[in-house]
Amino acid sequence: MADGNNPAPPPAASPLQSHRYAIKSSAHNTAASRRREQAVAIGKERREALMRAKRVCRTPLSGSNESAIEDGDMVIDDEKEGLETRTAQAVQELKSSLSSQGKGAQKKKIEALRALRRLLSQSEVPPIEVAIKAGAVPLLVQFLSFGSSDEQLLETAWCLTNIAAGQPEETKTLLPALPLLIAHLGEKSSTLVAEQCAWAVGNVAGEGSDLRSTLLAQGALLPLARLMLSNKGSTARTAAWALSNLIKGPDPKAVNELIKIEGVLNAIIRDLEKADEELATEVAWVVVYLSALSEKAISLIVRSHVPQLLIARLLASENLQLLIPVLRGLGNLVAGDGYMVDSVLIVGHSITDQALSSLIKCLKSDNRVLRKEASWALSNIAAGSFEHKKLIFTSEATPLLIHLLTSAQFDIRKEAAYTLGNLCVVSAGSTDPPNIITEHLASIINGGALPGFVNLVRSADIESARLGLQFLELVMRGYPNGQGPALVERQDGIDAMERFQFHENEAMRNMANGLVDKYFGEDYGLE
Amino acid sequence: MSLDVTQILLSAQSPDGSVRKHAEESLKQFQEQNLPSFLLSLSSELANNEKPEESRRLAGLILKNALDAKEQHRKNELFQRWLALDAGVKAQIKALLLQTLSSPVASARSTSSQAIAKIAGIEIPQKLWPELIASLLSNIHQVQPNVKQATLETLGYLCEEVSPEAVDQDQVNKILTAVVQGMNASEGNSEVRLAATRALYNALGFAQVNFSNDMERDYIMRVVCEATQSPEMKIRQAAFECLVAISSTYYDKLATYMQDIFNITAKAVRGDEESVALQAIEFWSSICDEEIDILDEYSSEFTADSDVPCYYFIKQALPALVPMLLETLLKQEDDQDLDEGAWNLAMAGGTCLGLVARTVGDDIVPLVMPFVEENITKSEWRQREAATYAFGSILEGPSADKLTPLVNVALNFMLSALVKDPNNHVKDTTAWTLGRIFEFLHGSALETAPVITSENCQQILTVLLQSMKDVPNVAEKACGALYFLAQGYVDAGSASPLTPFFQDIVQALLVTSHREDAGESRLRTAAYETLNEVVRCSTEETAPIVMQLVPVIMMELHQTLEAGKLSTDEKEKRSDLQGLLCGCLQVIIQKLGGMESTKFAFLQYADQMMDLFLRVFACRNATVHEEAMLSIGALAYAAGSNFAKYMAQFYQYLEMGLQNFEEYQVCAITVGVVGDLCRALEDKILPYCDGIMTQLLKDLSSNQLHRSVKPPIFSCFGDIALAIGENFEKYLIYAMPMLQSAADLSAHANAADDEMLDYTNQLRNGILEAYSGILQGFKSSPKTQLLMPYAPHILQFLDALYNGKDMDDSVMKTAIGVLGDLADTLGVHAGPLINQSTSSKQFLDECLSSDDPLVKESADWARIAISRAVSG
Repeated sequence: MADGNNPAPPPAASPLQSHRYAIKSSAHNTAASRRREQAVAIGKERREALMRAKRVCRTPLSGSNESAIEDGDMVIDDEKEGLETRTAQAVQELKSSLSSQGKGAQKKKIEALRALRRLLSQSEVPPIEVAIKAGAVPLLVQFLSFGSSDEQLLETAWCLTNIAAGQPEETKTLLPALPLLIAHLGEKSSTLVAEQCAWAVGNVAGEGSDLRSTLLAQGALLPLARLMLSNKGSTARTAAWALSNLIKGPDPKAVNELIKIEGVLNAIIRDLEKADEELATEVAWVVVYLSALSEKAISLIVRSHVPQLLIARLLASENLQLLIPVLRGLGNLVAGDGYMVDSVLIVGHSITDQALSSLIKCLKSDNRVLRKEASWALSNIAAGSFEHKKLIFTSEATPLLIHLLTSAQFDIRKEAAYTLGNLCVVSAGSTDPPNIITEHLASIINGGALPGFVNLVRSADIESARLGLQFLELVMRGYPNGQGPALVERQDGIDAMERFQFHENEAMRNMANGLVDKYFGEDYGLE
Repeated sequence: MSLDVTQILLSAQSPDGSVRKHAEESLKQFQEQNLPSFLLSLSSELANNEKPEESRRLAGLILKNALDAKEQHRKNELFQRWLALDAGVKAQIKALLLQTLSSPVASARSTSSQAIAKIAGIEIPQKLWPELIASLLSNIHQVQPNVKQATLETLGYLCEEVSPEAVDQDQVNKILTAVVQGMNASEGNSEVRLAATRALYNALGFAQVNFSNDMERDYIMRVVCEATQSPEMKIRQAAFECLVAISSTYYDKLATYMQDIFNITAKAVRGDEESVALQAIEFWSSICDEEIDILDEYSSEFTADSDVPCYYFIKQALPALVPMLLETLLKQEDDQDLDEGAWNLAMAGGTCLGLVARTVGDDIVPLVMPFVEENITKSEWRQREAATYAFGSILEGPSADKLTPLVNVALNFMLSALVKDPNNHVKDTTAWTLGRIFEFLHGSALETAPVITSENCQQILTVLLQSMKDVPNVAEKACGALYFLAQGYVDAGSASPLTPFFQDIVQALLVTSHREDAGESRLRTAAYETLNEVVRCSTEETAPIVMQLVPVIMMELHQTLEAGKLSTDEKEKRSDLQGLLCGCLQVIIQKLGGMESTKFAFLQYADQMMDLFLRVFACRNATVHEEAMLSIGALAYAAGSNFAKYMAQFYQYLEMGLQNFEEYQVCAITVGVVGDLCRALEDKILPYCDGIMTQLLKDLSSNQLHRSVKPPIFSCFGDIALAIGENFEKYLIYAMPMLQSAADLSAHANAADDEMLDYTNQLRNGILEAYSGILQGFKSSPKTQLLMPYAPHILQFLDALYNGKDMDDSVMKTAIGVLGDLADTLGVHAGPLINQSTSSKQFLDECLSSDDPLVKESADWARIAISRAVSG
C-alpha cells in the first residue's frame, strides 16, 4: 500500500508533465551511455572478427601428382581426440625429423610433413589449433629455409595454407612465416611451390586490412604480380585471386603500384583471351579493383586491348560469376575516362556494336545487378556524340530501357531514365539549353516512357525528380506540333509538378513553377 | 462488515507513523482475506456523499491501483484478477463508480473517472462493457456542469487507456462530437470546457478518420484554435497541448492552418503566461522533429523516400519564426544554470532554435548572426548571454563551410569571455558554446579547413583548464568542452596536439574531481567522464601516464570500500562514486589491455583490480553494479584465459545480473559480459555454462524482460557455442526451438514503423549470429550430423529474409555468413538442401556484387564453401 501515504495527484494533471531535452545540456549526460554503447560495439566487433569465416584449402592443387592417390589413404577416423593425438604426434615427428642425419633423413622429413599435411586437410576436422599449440609453425618456418627440396617446400607451404585458413588468431600465428612464404613466391621457385605459397599468402591477405598492410610492407605485391604472368593457368589464377585479396583497398597505394609493374597489363590481356572462365573471373576482379581505385590504371587500361576483351567476354559467357566482375569493370572504365566513349567505342566500329549487344543482353538478364550495372554503363555511352545516341536509339535497348523505366526497382529506373534522357538531347554548347532530337523524343514518348518520367518527378530523391522535370520540359518544348503539354497533362504531369510549389530546393521550385506557368498558364486550353 | 473502512482510510493518511502503519496493515489484511468485498467497500466509500473527502479519495486511489500497474507482468496479473471476479460484484462496482460521476465533490468524481477508465482498459478490448460509452455519452446531455465535466474527464482517460482499434468508428465519432462540443466557445462553464480540451488531447489518436475528412478536420481545428484564445489560462494551455499533439500525429494535414497557427503561437510566445508560451514554442519544436525525420528519410540511401512528404513549414515560417525565438532568449531566469531541472522560455526558445537550425541548415545563419553581433558586447548580461546562446544553438545543422569563417572570428572572443566576463551565466553559456564548436566543427571527419589548429589548441587548453577552477557550473561546462575537444582527436594518432599537455590535463581533471564542491552541478561526474574520454582518445605515446593513473583510481575505489556504517543516502552517494571510478577503470582497461606494448605490465594489476570489483559487488544485496560489470567484461577480454581463476568468486554476481529483469540494462550488460567471458575463456567457461544457459533460456521465455535484451541473448548463444564447440550439444534441444520460433516471427514480422523494423532486424541479426556460432562451433567436431535436422529450417529462414526485402546491410552480411557456415560445417550433406532452396543462389549473387566490402568478403567465402558442398 505504498501509494497510501501520498496524497492523491491533483485531478486531471496536465498531460505533458515533462519537457523535451534542453539543447544546452551537459556533456556528461550522454557521456556514460556513449561509453556503454562503445563497450557493446566492441563486443560485437570482436564477435564478428571471431566469426569471420575463411577459405579452407583442402583439395590438392591440380597438377600435383598427389591428387589421384590421395583419396585412397585419407584418414577416415573421425574421432576428434584420436585426431588431435595424432596431430600432436605428427608435430613431434616433424621435430625429430629435423634433427635426423644421414641417409634417409630427407625421406623422413617428407613423410613427417606429408603426415601433418594430411591431418590438416581433413575435410571436416582440421586440427589447426592442436598443431599450432604443439609448435608446428616455428618448425614449418625452418622447413621453408632456402635450398630445401621442392617437395619439402610444397608440403610445408601446403600445411601453412591450411593453417592460414583457420581462425583469425590462428592466421596471425603465421606472421613469422610470411617473409619466407613471400620469398618462395619468387622466380627461382618451381611453379608448384610458388603457387602453393601464393595460396597461403592469399588466405592471409583475406584475413583483413592489418595483415594486408603487413604483406604489402613485406613486398608481397611484386612477386605475386610476376606470378600472375605465368603461362600456367592454375598458377595465374591463384596469383590473380591472391592479388585481388591483397589490393582490395581501401588504400589505393597497392593498386597504383600494381599497374606500374611491367607486364601486368599484358598478362591481364593474355588471361582474358584464354578460354578458362575461372581464370578470367579472377583476373576480371583484379580489373575491377584497378579501375575502381586508380585513375592512372583506368587511363592505361582504356588504351589497351582490355575493353575489347571485356566486351567479348560479356557477350559470350553465361557464367554469372564471370559476368559480374566483367560488367563492373567495363562500367568503371566507361564512367572513369571519356576516352572510352570518344575514342574506343566509335560508332561504326564493330567493337561498339558488340558493346551494345552485350549490354542489351545484360539488360534482359534476370539478375538485378547485371541490369543495374548495364543501365549505368549505357547512360554514360548515351551521353556521348549524336551518333552514339542514334545507335542506341535505333537498337533494341530503347524499348528495354522504357520497360525498365516503368517497371524496375528504383535504382535501375533512375539509370534507365538517364539513358533515355541523354538519347533525346544533344549538347548545344556550354550555355545554351541542349537541342532536342525531336525524332528520338517523339518515338520514346510514343513508346510509353512518359508515365515513367512523371513518376520520377514524384520521387523524393531530388536527383530523380530533377531528371523527371528536365524530361517533361523537353516534351513540352519539343514534342511535335505543340502536343507536349497536352500529353503531360494527360499523364497527371501538372499535379506531379505542382508538388514542387513549396519545395525547399529553390532551383527545383523555380523550374517546376516556371514550367507550369509557361505551359499551363492563362492561355492554356483556349485554342 | 465489522470494519470501519472510513476510519481505516483516514488513519492510513495520519501524520502519526504508527497509526498509519497499523491502518495499512488492516487494509492489506482485508484485501487478502476477501478481495471482492474489499473492492466493493472501497467503491461504496467512494460513492457515498456522506463520507469525508479524504477517505473517499484514498478509497478511489486504492481501487485504481488494484486495477493497473506500471510493470507489464504485474499489470497482466491485475487484469486477470479483475476478470476473475464475480460478475455481480463487478457490476456493482461499476454502477457505484458511474454514480460517483454525479457527486458534488470534485475529487471524488475525478478519482472515479480514473477508476472507470482503468476498468474500461481491461474490459473494452474484451467486449465486456459495451454499454459504457453510450451511458457516458447520455450524461453529456445533462444540465449539471459537474456531471458533464466528470463525464468528459472520464472520456479523456478512457481514450488514454483503450487503444483506438478496440472502439467502433461510430462510437469514436460520438465521443469526438461530445468532446468538441464541450470545447466550443459557446460552452459557458469553464470547468467543462477545460475537461473537454484535455479529453481531446487523449482522443486525438482516435481521430484518424475524422482528420482525413476536410470538413470535420476544419471544424476540430477551428475549435482548438479558438480555445487557445480562451480567457482561462488552463484552457489555453490545454488547447496548445492539443496543437502540439496534432502537429506530430497529423503533420501532413496542417498546410492550410499554418498561417493562423503561426499568428496564435506568436501572440502566445510574446504575451501569454509562461506555461502557455512554452506550449506554443513546443508546437514549433514538434514541427521541426517531424521535418527532420522526413528529411532524414529523404536523404537515406536505401529508401530515398518517405511516406509523408515534407511541406517545409519551418523554411516558410523562417523569417518570422527566428526573430520570435530570438526574443525569448532574453527572458532568462537568474541562476537557471544552478537548477538542473530548470525549463523556461529562454531555454525552450533556444532549444527550438537549435532544432530549426537542424531543419533548415545554412538558411538560418543570416537571420541569427545580426542578433549575435548586436548583443554580444552589450553591458547588460542578459544580452551577452542571449547572443552567445543563439550562436551556440545554431552550430549543428548549417554546413561547415558556412560556419567555419564565423567560428574562426568568434573563437578568440569566446575564449576571452570565458576568462573575463563578470557574469557566471554568460561564462556558463560561453563554455557550452565552445563545447558545441568542438563537437560539430572539429575532428578528422570534416573536410573544411580545421578550426582548431596546433597553434590555437594550447591557448584553448589553457583557458579550459583555468575555467575548471571557476564556480562549479562553469567548471562543469568547461569539462564538457574539453570532452569534445579530446574526442575530435580520437583518430589523430601521434599528431594529437593534446599529447604534450596530457599530464596537465589529467592532473587538472583529478584535481577538479576532488574539489570540495564537486557535488554541485554534477561537476564530479563531468570531470571523470571527461577523463575517460581523454584516456580513450589518447595515443600510445602517453600510455605511461595512463598507467600511472591505474593505482590512483584503484586507491580511490579502495577508499570507498573502507567507510564504516552508512545511511541510505550515503550509500547511494558511495554507489554513484563507485560507478564513476569503475567506469574510469573500464576505459583504462580497454586502452592499456588493447595495446601490446602495455598489456603485460597492465595485467600485473588484474588481481587487485578484480578484488576491488568483487568488493564493490558485495556492497549491495540484491542487485549488481552495472559499471563494475562492464569493467569486468573489459578485464576478462584483456586477461584472456587467465580470467578463469576469478570465475568461482565472480559467478554468483554474473547470475545475479542475468536475473535482473527489472533493471533490464543491467541484464543486457551482463549478457554482453557473458560474450566477453566466452571469448576470453573459450572452453574453460564450460563448467559455468549449465547455469548461464538456464538463466538465458529463462530470460527469453519471460514476459517481464524488456524486449531489447532478447537479440543480444541470441547472439550470446552463438558466443557460447563458439567457445565450447560440440559441448553445446546438450543445449541444442532447448536453444534450437527458441531460435526457430523467433526466426519465424521475425521473418514474417509486419514491421509497421521504423522502430519496429529496426528491432526486427536486430532480432534477426541475433538469431543469425546464434546460428553462425553454433555451426562454426560444431565445425571441428564429429557431431556435425546433429545439426542436420535444423538445416532445412535455417535455409527457409534465409529464403524468407531474402524474399522479404527489408533486411538491412548488417543482417545481409550475417545471413550470407550463415549460408556459408551451413555449407562449410555440413559439407556435402547440405548440398542438396542448398540446391533446393529457392533463393540461395540469387542471394549469393547479390551479395557477391555488393558494394560493401564486408558483405562481399563473406559472400566470397560462402561461394567457395557452397560450391564445395554442392559439387560434393
